[in-house]
Amino acid sequence: MSRELDLRDIFQVIQKRLWLIVLIMVLICSLVGVYSVFIKKPVYEASTKIVVNQTPSNSGTNQLDLNQINTNIQLINTYKEIIKTPAILDQVVESYPEFQLTTEDLSNKINVNSVNNTQVMTVVVRDLSYVKAAEIANAISKVFKSEIPTIFNVENVSILNEAKTEPSVRPQPVGPNIILNLMIGFVVSLMAGVGLSFVLEYLDDTIKTEEDVKEFLEMPTLAMITRVSQNEQESSQSYSTSISGGKDHVTITK
Amino acid sequence: MSRLQNKKRHLIVLTNSRSPIAEAYRSLRTNIDFSSVDQRTQVIMVTSSGPEEGKSTVVANLAVTYAQDGRKVLLIDADMRKPTGHRTFQLTNRTGLSSVLSNQSDLEEVIQQTEVPNLYIMTAGPIPPNPAEMLNSNRMKSMMQLLREQFDMILIDTPPVLAVTDAQLLASNSDGVLLVINSGKVKKDIAIKAKENLLRVNARMLGVVLNNVKRKTSEEYYYYYYGN
Repeated sequence: MSRELDLRDIFQVIQKRLWLIVLIMVLICSLVGVYSVFIKKPVYEASTKIVVNQTPSNSGTNQLDLNQINTNIQLINTYKEIIKTPAILDQVVESYPEFQLTTEDLSNKINVNSVNNTQVMTVVVRDLSYVKAAEIANAISKVFKSEIPTIFNVENVSILNEAKTEPSVRPQPVGPNIILNLMIGFVVSLMAGVGLSFVLEYLDDTIKTEEDVKEFLEMPTLAMITRVSQNEQESSQSYSTSISGGKDHVTITK
Repeated sequence: MSRLQNKKRHLIVLTNSRSPIAEAYRSLRTNIDFSSVDQRTQVIMVTSSGPEEGKSTVVANLAVTYAQDGRKVLLIDADMRKPTGHRTFQLTNRTGLSSVLSNQSDLEEVIQQTEVPNLYIMTAGPIPPNPAEMLNSNRMKSMMQLLREQFDMILIDTPPVLAVTDAQLLASNSDGVLLVINSGKVKKDIAIKAKENLLRVNARMLGVVLNNVKRKTSEEYYYYYYGN
């Protein structure tokens, strides 16, 4: 492989092993599809929104202080972390034994986001059951609200909206995301297939072309005998007779 | 019936003389003729590095192509370990090269005429216990001298180079060696080793015949539609 690999070579390699690439892609995509649709259980999501506002220490005026707001926004990141700490989660586990969760489980289920440059936090809980997810989200929000004043000097925590435990519309599962999984599977298998075909091509050190003969044996190729296909063998007799008749005819008229 | 099909497959230059493969054999003939301007290439040996690469098919088709060119051609099946030449042309193998070399038959007896005009065949004969010694004998050398006077072209089918030493011995009696390489089946170092083995006995390498090349649709266009 001392020659540089130009674009045509790359295409040729891919074309040659196209069946392999397609096979890998079909295989992986169908596996991913079966896993997402039949094996993986659907996951539901419920969320609550919490707004946090630090009480101004020297609150003489009702004027909004820009610095104060900015500080609060910065502090949101801190609160996000606090929610995920055992300080809050242990309380949740203790106060709500009906969830039958450990602190570890809980921290895997929750996800806390903040909308950019706002003082609003979203607590998102994922669970196999929507109702349970909603209950957990509500529980965490309540515990956070009651616990945060003891940790931080804030009293102004309010729950904007609670997760509905009995929604009017049946909630759709958020996971598994079949389309996304399939797309990832498609891309990954495409890359794996192409990679594998190049590895195979690289490992294949047989002589295949005239160039190989010239490069490795330093001998000329005097003839290239192509493979005889099956139907050519069968039809060869009739083909040659019909052609030879035609050839004779042409010779005579000339 | 199967034998008949076998024959058809082997001699595509006869059964399908307008096919691209037959054309490839004709261009092989031309290339050999023009590859040697000063030296006369009368005895050509066909071999390969390993077994089953299509030596016998190539040598039989090439022999027919030479015969079609009007030359008096002798095809010697020197693969006394695994003879196939008699089967390709559906001839008897009761006597052949091995019987001449072991002084059991005369040269004239073992040369059989084929249904192709100008093409004669010396089959391998009964399988001897010592093919290498036979090929290295003085009788072999004198036989080749006699044959050179009688025929325009002598083509020799041989066992694989890397399997047995027969091909190396025959190479010293030949004017040129064709190395058949089964495309995509022979590793580079194997082919290089076969070439080195042949060069070690001062064989004159004519070139390579790439066999079983996968046909490309783009090339098919050139061959099939030209002149039709």
